[in-house]
Amino acid sequence: MTTIKKKRILIANRGEIATRIAKAIKELNHTSVGIWTDNEPSAAHLEFCHEWVRLEGTTNAETYLNIPKIIELCKKHKIDAVHPGYGFLSENGNFVKALDENGIIFIGPNTKATSQMGDKAISKQLAKKAGIPTVPGSADAVPTLDEAIKISKEIGYPVMLKAVAGGGGRGMRVCHHEEDVRKNFEVVGREAQSAFGNAGLLVEKFILNPHHIEVQILADKKGNVFHFFERECSVQRRNQKIIEEAPSPFIGEDEALRTNICETAVNLARAVGYDSAGTVEFIMGEDKKFYFLEMNTRIQVEHPITEEITGVDLIVCMIQAAFGEDLGIPNQQWIRRSGHAIECRICAEDPITMLPAPGLVTGFETVFPQGTRFDHCLFRGLKVTPDFDPMVGKLVTKGIIREVAMRKMRAALDGLLIEGLKTNIPLHKVILKDEPFIRGNYTTKYIEEYRPQDRVNVELQPDGIYKILAGVEARQMGL
Amino acid sequence: MRYYLIDADKNELIVDLSSTKIHNADLVEYKFSTLKENKEIHASTVFVRKLAGMYYSSFDGISWAKLARQEIPTKMLNVNKVYDLYRGFKPSGLAGTGAGEMVTQMPGKIVKIQTKIGDKVSKGQTLVILEAMKMENEIKCGIDGVVKAIHVNVGQALEQGVLMLEVGKP
Repeated sequence: MTTIKKKRILIANRGEIATRIAKAIKELNHTSVGIWTDNEPSAAHLEFCHEWVRLEGTTNAETYLNIPKIIELCKKHKIDAVHPGYGFLSENGNFVKALDENGIIFIGPNTKATSQMGDKAISKQLAKKAGIPTVPGSADAVPTLDEAIKISKEIGYPVMLKAVAGGGGRGMRVCHHEEDVRKNFEVVGREAQSAFGNAGLLVEKFILNPHHIEVQILADKKGNVFHFFERECSVQRRNQKIIEEAPSPFIGEDEALRTNICETAVNLARAVGYDSAGTVEFIMGEDKKFYFLEMNTRIQVEHPITEEITGVDLIVCMIQAAFGEDLGIPNQQWIRRSGHAIECRICAEDPITMLPAPGLVTGFETVFPQGTRFDHCLFRGLKVTPDFDPMVGKLVTKGIIREVAMRKMRAALDGLLIEGLKTNIPLHKVILKDEPFIRGNYTTKYIEEYRPQDRVNVELQPDGIYKILAGVEARQMGL
Repeated sequence: MRYYLIDADKNELIVDLSSTKIHNADLVEYKFSTLKENKEIHASTVFVRKLAGMYYSSFDGISWAKLARQEIPTKMLNVNKVYDLYRGFKPSGLAGTGAGEMVTQMPGKIVKIQTKIGDKVSKGQTLVILEAMKMENEIKCGIDGVVKAIHVNVGQALEQGVLMLEVGKP
């Protein structure tokens, strides 16, 4: 066994993912350096970090998105490597370049893979070249509105306008006819410019009744590329996932299809010389034909469900891969899956309008069934501000079969007690009892079509209030 | 002790804690009722029990559910609606009383007056401590302003509806 030098790793992120990364760093016996900013001095992820470093500023542009300042911090604190988490600078080519120039390891794929896959147009071309099916559409960023309309006509409506540098469901819009394209072209361009610093837009065919299916990839610097099976993330609102599961219930028992989509993902990762954890996203139509959407060159929010069914620690492997270490995985056949895992994203938002609802967590307790994992950043006193993503935790349950995972999830949702803060827990409860979800044949249109949000019970329950007030009184009495 | 829950549309819900019975160091019984236009529309008895440092609640003393322990919160949530929560006092300016007029919501004895005439005070600031039902209640100011008049003294026993203090615009 080789001894590995203790490395100093900066976590350029916050919230639950920073906690998750810090735990992995601790486990590997490296030193984790956490960041706190002026608008979040009591950041909960610091609890798991060895060192706490202040990043001055109150806006994300001044802090988590500030490349020069983060590089400066790295130099000052003698950082060997940076883990970007997801969001923020996780897929920013300039950040990777800046780290490279300063001799700091980026815990993620190499610069080439990031820049190629980070650009939706280039990634699509590359996928095409590698023989991977892609959604019909513009090969490149569309320069003008007229061009966008022309392409839309060629491929047929509905079409999707999509930011070249986008991700996370922002900077995209569905257009059903020419008028929509006219209306949205500039708006989406502006959105893209402000969110990603790149106004370039793609036009592509919009697949009806689609399933969002993605394949987890893990590769090392020695040329090994493995897949860890697929996830289905079709329960979405505003193109953002809220429930994910692994394996995909839509693929179900179709092992040939499963192998096909997973190997397609591996082929793409090989074609771009991928060397870290990543996700290849596909859209699958009713006919089970799938098309490459994009590759996310980072760890994803929903990685825990893959960890649960395969038993692999993706964050640990990602760190090992970045340092050129062995992943300890002999071959693809060695990776097996068992059981079924579901993740519900717990967001500080109105369960009906699904709009962010900042607030203060006045109480927080959990009563979970066996087989529950909760990656979160919650604590009593947490102030959820509009500065950051409203997601405050990820509730994951695993069962031997899907029905068991769902049963455990229902129990886990009942046992997730958060007071003071509006969350989407009531919505998750409705979905987990909803027939289309239980059947496992739901598309990305599920929320729109079945509107589970309309079935959230909002009736005021006096008994519920008494219980809470009794707790307050008991606390006042010093019970 | 009375609780006032007021939503963004100024709909209000009054919850009365009519009795508190301490069974032992780890078990307390509370009687609550909900009032609408001064009429009781719902009532229940709730038990709270401390177990392994956690709070559990029960309606029958047999089946128990864990509670997320809270200090006195200023907000209370019901699924998609957040209520402002006032314990023991109704904020001035609501339901008829003139802004800044602090009126006793229950009979009690003045324990402390934490302000004097002419003081600049802000919304939410505790101005008076009133002992009622064997509990000290912080009477908070409902608006930002200046203390114009104090009508009560420390030690004085008051009936419900007595004007204690007036806060007005500077």
